[in-house]
Amino acid sequence: MPLVMPLGRLRTWTAAGVVLLLTAPLLLALQRYRYPQWSEPQIQYSAPPDPNGSEFYFARLVYDSGMGGRSRRGGWATDYPEAEYHLMQGVQRLTKVDAAGEGKLVRPLDDEMFEYPWLYAVEVGRWYLSQDEAEHLREYLLRGGFLMVDDFHGTYQWADFLDGMQRVFPDRPILEIESEEAVFHVLYDLDQRIQIPGRQVLWSGVTYERDGYVPHWRGIYDDEGRLMVAINFNMDLGDAWEHADWPEYPEPMTALAYRFGINYIVYAMTH
Amino acid sequence: MFELLFKYPLTVFRKGEFVFASGWSGWLLLLATVAAAAGLAWHLRRNPGRLAGRQLPWIAAFQVAAVALALFMLWQPAVSIQSLRSQQNVVSVLVDTSRSMALVEDGATRLEQVRKVIGEGFLAQLEERFRVRLYSFSSGLERLNSLDSIQPVGGSTRIGESVAGLLGESTVIPLGAVVVFSDGSDNTEAFDRALMAEIRQRNVPVHTVGVGRTEMPEDIELSDVHVASSTLPRSRVNAQMTLRHHGGSQVDARLTVRDDSSILGSKTITLRRGETVQTETIDFNAGDAGVRNLRFSLDPIEGETILGNNAQMRVLDVPRGERSILYVEGEPRWEYKFLQRAISKDENVRLVTMLRTTPNKFYRQGVNDQGELLNGFPVTAEELFGYDALMIGSIEAAFFTPKQQDLIREFVSRRGGSLLMLGGRRGLGDGGWGVSQLAEALPAQLPESSNETFQRRKTSFELTPQGLDSLICRLDEDPAENRKAWSGMPELADFQSIGELKPAAIPLINRTSGNEKFPLMVSQNYGRGRTLILATGGTWRWKMHLPHDDNRHHTFWQQLLRSLAVHSQSQLSLSSDRGLYADEKRVKLRAQVRDKDFMPAGNATVTATITSEAGEPMTVEMHPSADEMGVFETELTAGATGTYRAEVQATVGDESLGTDVLHFRREDGVAEDFHPEQNRELLETLAKQTGGAYWTLDNVDGLPQEIRFSEAGITAREMLDLWDMPLFFLMLLGLRGGEWLLRRRWGVV
Repeated sequence: MPLVMPLGRLRTWTAAGVVLLLTAPLLLALQRYRYPQWSEPQIQYSAPPDPNGSEFYFARLVYDSGMGGRSRRGGWATDYPEAEYHLMQGVQRLTKVDAAGEGKLVRPLDDEMFEYPWLYAVEVGRWYLSQDEAEHLREYLLRGGFLMVDDFHGTYQWADFLDGMQRVFPDRPILEIESEEAVFHVLYDLDQRIQIPGRQVLWSGVTYERDGYVPHWRGIYDDEGRLMVAINFNMDLGDAWEHADWPEYPEPMTALAYRFGINYIVYAMTH
Repeated sequence: MFELLFKYPLTVFRKGEFVFASGWSGWLLLLATVAAAAGLAWHLRRNPGRLAGRQLPWIAAFQVAAVALALFMLWQPAVSIQSLRSQQNVVSVLVDTSRSMALVEDGATRLEQVRKVIGEGFLAQLEERFRVRLYSFSSGLERLNSLDSIQPVGGSTRIGESVAGLLGESTVIPLGAVVVFSDGSDNTEAFDRALMAEIRQRNVPVHTVGVGRTEMPEDIELSDVHVASSTLPRSRVNAQMTLRHHGGSQVDARLTVRDDSSILGSKTITLRRGETVQTETIDFNAGDAGVRNLRFSLDPIEGETILGNNAQMRVLDVPRGERSILYVEGEPRWEYKFLQRAISKDENVRLVTMLRTTPNKFYRQGVNDQGELLNGFPVTAEELFGYDALMIGSIEAAFFTPKQQDLIREFVSRRGGSLLMLGGRRGLGDGGWGVSQLAEALPAQLPESSNETFQRRKTSFELTPQGLDSLICRLDEDPAENRKAWSGMPELADFQSIGELKPAAIPLINRTSGNEKFPLMVSQNYGRGRTLILATGGTWRWKMHLPHDDNRHHTFWQQLLRSLAVHSQSQLSLSSDRGLYADEKRVKLRAQVRDKDFMPAGNATVTATITSEAGEPMTVEMHPSADEMGVFETELTAGATGTYRAEVQATVGDESLGTDVLHFRREDGVAEDFHPEQNRELLETLAKQTGGAYWTLDNVDGLPQEIRFSEAGITAREMLDLWDMPLFFLMLLGLRGGEWLLRRRWGVV
């Protein structure tokens, strides 16, 4: 069998190699941007911290996606850090909340979580919580912490979210949040239920992802009937915050996402 | 001995006037004495005999003194004194027949000892010169023919009232003196200065004869219990007790609080050696709404014989109802959330909040209806005074108009509400409250400088001694456990400097920084109300950094908010002069009535309806007090024992100013178990104030002679010769004998 490669096949391999060499840095750069390292988050959007500290910090849950650790490819970092940066600017401008410009990253087993009674978790359709992490998160919530989850879509991602959430609260039901509940009126009266899309709406033309056609605002309540976990299913508030400065993203969706976010924050600080 | 030498008792010399019965002048006596001395000196000098020169003055001195004394006696010295005319005056003898006179001491009851003394000569001595009337007294006064039938069964001892009553009804008889045989245990609290003045005005000497030991053997007594008459359901209640301990040793005793058969609280106390009186406190939970008949009791100690003074009853009213607290907060923050949660389960405290969520928007929680606080913070007294307490969080003083600031100050001073100021970036000094119209009401001199006093830095803290005693900070009833519970609390999230404390401020919690301490929580009374500062907005960390089932954060806030609410005064408040009427039937009720602006309502019509456990309701009209505007009083007789319910209503025209309910308790047969030792101090005071004297059973035989020289009753001036006093003759004998001994010593007899 001759060892000489045919010319056509050689060209194909050569082209593939060139393409790979040319695109690899770009892919790497994109990945680094989308999924910053845990130890050294590359915060591009950041306000100078107040030397005297702030009352409210946007704390983001750094969970494990079950894909080899919570570093580079973790779903927790989706929209990070632009989403919180933009939202916090809105909170500072629109409310009396003493909100910090910079966010905080907390891991599920880190006791620092208890310093921040408001917690955000994104793409929870891909999260994984160990039993210890679930128990820690349960304790956090029972002490009075508040968790907002966002940006997960369709049947399969709901099932994955549920798998983790049921480790946290095996017995507490997940209920639809009724329109008249305080969380929808604590600051803004949010009577309309509009699906807030991710940025994919720009090229797909549809507001839903996967089979998540209908948006759901669901919640888990404590024994006193107070909302502990706000579940934003089949919508992407994080994208709406993140792309607040992107002209192509529909501004009304960003405005609505701000209102939902602010209501969640004010609710968490009053109930 | 005195009378042996001086012929008459001391009182004769104290009351009488010295005179010479001969009618000769005192100057003449002096002249005669000088002349006699000169004559003697001349004679001795001319006829010294065997006396040497240095011996002459001594002999002369003895002889001159003897002659002077003889001349003095010759002038007939005497005492002119008022004395009661024989058989024309009455002496009233009062014998205490209260139950404490049944105590056995030295083999006989106190009453038996009195009966023996009176029967063995005292009465006969009196009857030689006076007409004697016998009385027994305990809760009332009773005339006796003899002491044979009296028994120590009286439920209380009313010395003051009995003596005053006797003097009052004896104005038409020539009363020469009153003699009171008693252990002095007046347990009616009615023997006050006014009653003493009334007795003194009669100008009749009251002689008291003390009976019984002044120190009791091994005994503990629960002398007094001070506990609120009313509180909110499930509140922690603190009772303060006064304990008396007789006997030298240190002992432990178990103190228990019961409501009927259920034990509400219990603790072991140590009765310290050498401390007769000590105070103790005990905490317990008031439980659900209702009337609590509380029984505070001490278990008997070894060797104790008087057990009736180991317990006391009190009534605690735990009415249904709700107190409301208005909380104004300038920004959403975690402290707001977590204190809301802490109080959310409390059915008796309604926290009404105004939270500024945006620069021009407020979020209200806890309102009764959509109209409540719709127009913002109240601008009228009627609206603001409807709340029981007020909390101001991280919001600047300038948010409130000057009129509203005035209103807040009057909310505390006039309405009697409580105000709590919280720390925050817009609170206290940083919010300009140090220069507000409210500044004078606050317990600290808040910094006025522009430097930021609010720091978002974690800080440790500790309770002050007053904080350890305070119900607000009581996380555990056991002081050691309470201290431990506080020491394990997480750090606060932030703090604020509040400057110097004012003189009346009470620090409850201090912030600690190294070895330095700074006030964190302080309170002070202001007018009819109270102000507090909690210079942090970071207690929420306690909740987030302790296990979710740890209730320390909730307990602290519940107690703090209840403390704020429960101390507020209502428009109409009814009180009684005592919580327990032990062997006392007279009950004084006092109602304080205010209009809707909490100004004294002197024109109100106030009626009280009193119901005993078994009796029919009795309605009485309360009368305005002459001393204080808006105060109404009444006095009634509560004959039957048990728990009484008094309900008061006040109206002005058709307008109701509210109602209030009070419970009090009547008991018989308990007062005499308390203070069973002889109250010598009271007996001495009564005697001294009236011109009488204090006597004991051992020396009382001198009393009839003392009474003879009373200035009350029908008296005559009497001249008592002194020249024949044994003392004079002894002195003469001494002078002559002394001269003879000197001469004998010198060998010149």
